[in-house]
Amino acid sequence: MRPEERNAAVGRVRDQFPVGMRVLAVDDDPVCLKVLENLLRRCQYRVTTTNQAVVALRMLRQNRDLFDLVISDVHMPDMDGFKLLELVGLEMDLPVIMLSVNGETKTVMKGITHGACDYLLKPVRLEELRNIWQHVVRRKFSNCERANIDGYEECTRPSNADFDHVHSQITGGTPDQSGRSSKKRKEYHSEEEDEGEESNGQENDDPSAPKKPRVVWSVELHRKFVAAVNQLGIDKAVPKRILELMNVERLTRENVASHLQKYRLYLKRLSAVASQQASIVAAFGGNDPFMRMGAFEGLQGYQSFASSAALPSFTPQGLLNRNSPTSFALQGMSASRPIQIASNSTISHSISDPNKYHLSLPGTSSRQGNLAQGLTTSVGQVQLPQKWIHEETDDLSTILSVSGQANNGVPGTLQSVTNSHLLQQGLVECRQDKVVIQPCSSASSDRLEGTVGVSSSLMDSCASQQNVVPLSAFSISASPMNGSLCSNGVAELGATSSVGTNICPSNDLRVARDNNVGASSFGSVILLSPDTVPNQKYLNFGGGSNLRQSMDGGNTDNLLNSKLIWSCLPTSQPSNLVGSHHPMSQRLNNGNLGGTMVGQTTAAAPQTRIDMFTSGDTPTPKSASDLSFPKVHSELSSSSCSFDGLLNSIIKVEKDDASFSDDLGCDFYSLGACI
Amino acid sequence: MSAANQLAALIHNMFATGLLDDQFQQLQMLQDPSAPNFVAEVVTLFCQDGERIIGELAKLLDKPVVDFDRVDAFVHQLKGSSASVGALKVKNTCVQFREFCQQRSKDGCLKTLEMVRINFYELRGKFQTMLQLECQVNGFPPNN
Repeated sequence: MRPEERNAAVGRVRDQFPVGMRVLAVDDDPVCLKVLENLLRRCQYRVTTTNQAVVALRMLRQNRDLFDLVISDVHMPDMDGFKLLELVGLEMDLPVIMLSVNGETKTVMKGITHGACDYLLKPVRLEELRNIWQHVVRRKFSNCERANIDGYEECTRPSNADFDHVHSQITGGTPDQSGRSSKKRKEYHSEEEDEGEESNGQENDDPSAPKKPRVVWSVELHRKFVAAVNQLGIDKAVPKRILELMNVERLTRENVASHLQKYRLYLKRLSAVASQQASIVAAFGGNDPFMRMGAFEGLQGYQSFASSAALPSFTPQGLLNRNSPTSFALQGMSASRPIQIASNSTISHSISDPNKYHLSLPGTSSRQGNLAQGLTTSVGQVQLPQKWIHEETDDLSTILSVSGQANNGVPGTLQSVTNSHLLQQGLVECRQDKVVIQPCSSASSDRLEGTVGVSSSLMDSCASQQNVVPLSAFSISASPMNGSLCSNGVAELGATSSVGTNICPSNDLRVARDNNVGASSFGSVILLSPDTVPNQKYLNFGGGSNLRQSMDGGNTDNLLNSKLIWSCLPTSQPSNLVGSHHPMSQRLNNGNLGGTMVGQTTAAAPQTRIDMFTSGDTPTPKSASDLSFPKVHSELSSSSCSFDGLLNSIIKVEKDDASFSDDLGCDFYSLGACI
Repeated sequence: MSAANQLAALIHNMFATGLLDDQFQQLQMLQDPSAPNFVAEVVTLFCQDGERIIGELAKLLDKPVVDFDRVDAFVHQLKGSSASVGALKVKNTCVQFREFCQQRSKDGCLKTLEMVRINFYELRGKFQTMLQLECQVNGFPPNN
C-alpha cells in the first residue's frame, strides 16, 4: 500500500474497519507468498511478508503489537507452520490462519487443534481473504480495554508509526535473505535455549532443536500439566511435584520446568489483561482479590454469592409492565460477598466517553474482607430496576438505574449511563483468554422442562469428569427457575427460553469444551474454575438472575420480543464448585404483534467474577473446540446499540452463541436486531 | 496477427489445453495500476523457482538412497506454487508425484519427475512467449 493510501486508511479505520489491518504473511514459497501478499493488499490490509517462520516469530516477539493477524504456510523448511502457530498461540495472543495446499482432514485437524483460527487451502481466493478480518475482530474486541467499537482504532493506532518502519525493513529484506536468515536463526536458537527445550516442537524441522528428546506439549499433556499445577497451587507448583503428578513417561523435570515457566508467563499475561479489566470488574464489586483472579492466587477463599435459593420471587412487573422500569427481585442470595457495584474507576472512565458506562453504586453492600470464611450471609434482595432509553442515533445512551440491595440488606443504587459496554467487556475479555465458554443447552420455549433436563445432563457429563459438581444441586436450582417463570406468567406467553448451565470443572477447562461440541447449546455462559486445590472455595459469584428488557419505544403493552435472561446460581455448592450460571433466556417472540417493542430486563448479578476465573485456567488456545465457540466478540459490534447492565455479558454470550447457532439450527435472535 | 491477438490466442490456448486454470485468471485480475507487472512477476518467480525445485528433485532422486521426505517436501512446494499461479497440469502431476513419494517408489518418482519436467517446461515456454507478447503489446521492455 502506498503511503498516502495507508494514511488515508488509518483515518478511515473506524469507518472501514478491515482496511489497514496488519497482517503478517509467512510462506517459504516465493510464488505463493507473492500471490498471497498481493491478494492481501487487494483486500486493503497492510501486509508484511517473510519467507521464514523464524523471522516471523522473531518479528512477532519483538513487536507483537504490530500485527493483528498472522497467516502462515504449514510446510516450511526452517520451522513447521504448526510450531509457529503453537508458539504464537502461547506467547502472544494473535489469531493465526494456516495455509496449505494440503487439505487432508488430518492436517487441517492438526492446525485446528494447534489453535489456528482458520485453515485455508491454496490457492487462496480473494473472497476468503476478504473475510479474515473477522478473526481479528473476535480477538481484538475481547482483548481491547474498551469494549466499544472504537476499541479497534485505539488499539491499533499507537503502533501505526512503528509499523512503517518494520514494514519497510522486512519487505525490503528479500534480497539478503540468506545472510539474514542465518543470523536470525542463530538468535532464534539462543532464545529457544533460554526458554527451554520444551518449546522445541514435534517436528524435526525446527532448526534450533537441540538433540534431546523432544516433548510435544499436546493438548492432552498440557491438560495433565494444568491439572497438576492446579492441584499443587500455582505458587507451590514445582517441576518435580508436577512431574510426579503428571506421571507421564519420558517427560523430564526440565521439560516440565520450562513448560511451567512458560505457563507462568502465560498466566501473567492473562492476569495483566485481567487487571486492565479491573475497573470493569470493580463495577461489579471486585476489589483487589478479584483482580488477581486471572491468576490462581486470587481465587482462594472466595465464597461468592451463592444463591441458596434460586429465584424464589420474581416480580412480574418487568414483564407485564413494560413502561415502568422493570424490577426484578432476587431473593436468597447468600453472598459472603456482596454484590458490589461501586467503582470509582469506572466512572472516570466513562465520563469522558459517551460510549462508556458510568456506574456508580453508592451504598453497595459491605465488603467482607475475608470471604473465605464461608460465611453465608443471606442477602436480602437484589433489585435492579432498569430503564432503558434508547435513542435512534448511533450512539445510544442508555440510562440504567439499578438499585441493588445486596448483602445485609444494604440498599444500594446503581445508576449508570450507558452507552456501551464497559461491563461487558470485562466479561468478554476474560473469556477471551482462552476461557472456555460453554454454552449450554438451549431449549425453545415450549420446552422449559426439557431444558432443565438438558442442562443437568450437561452437568452430568462435566461432573463425571470432575467429580466436582453435585448434580442434584443443579437440577434443583434449575427447577426453581422454572417455577418462578411460570408463576410470572412469562411462560404462558409462549416464550422461548434457553437455559444454559455451565460448569467448568476446575482444573480442566477443556472438559467443557469437549462436552460442548456435541451439544447444541448456546445459551450461555461461562464458567470456569480453577481449582482443585483443597481449601479453596469458589462459590458462585454470579448468582444473579437476569432479566433483560430493552425497550424500544413503542408499544409497551405488548410483550413481544422480550428476552429474558436469567442467570441463576445453584444453591450453595460444595466448595469446589466455582461458578455456575444458569442463564435462561426467554424469548417471547411468538405473537409478534407489530412488535416495535423489545423488552429486555436485566436483573443482574455480578457474574463477572466468574469470568475472571476463567482467565486463570484455560490454557489452551489450542484446543479444537475453541474455535467453535465464539469468544464473545461479536457482541461488541452489536453492543454499541445495546446497553445494559451487568448481565449483558451473559446476554451477550448468548447472543453471540446465537450467531453461531446457525449450525445448531437455533433461532436466537440477536440483540442488535431487537434494539 | 497482432501481438495482442497472439497473446489472447496463446492464453486461450493455455486454458483450453488444461495448462492453466482459473487461478491464473485471478492473477490477471489482481494486476492493476497498483501492481502493473504482477502477473509477469509471479510467472517469472514461478519459472525460476520451479526450475530450481526440479533440479533439486533430480539430485535427490539420483542418490542411491533417496530421502523421500525431502523429495516430498519439494514436490509439496512445487504443488503449492503451481496451484498459486494456476499451473493446473504441473499441479496435477505433483499430486501423482507425491503419491509415489508416499509409496517410497523411486521408479514412480523418477517417472513422475519426468512428467513434471515436461509439463513444467511446456508451461514455461508458453509463459515466456506470453511475457514477450505482453511486452510488445504494452510497449515496455520485459521486467526481467
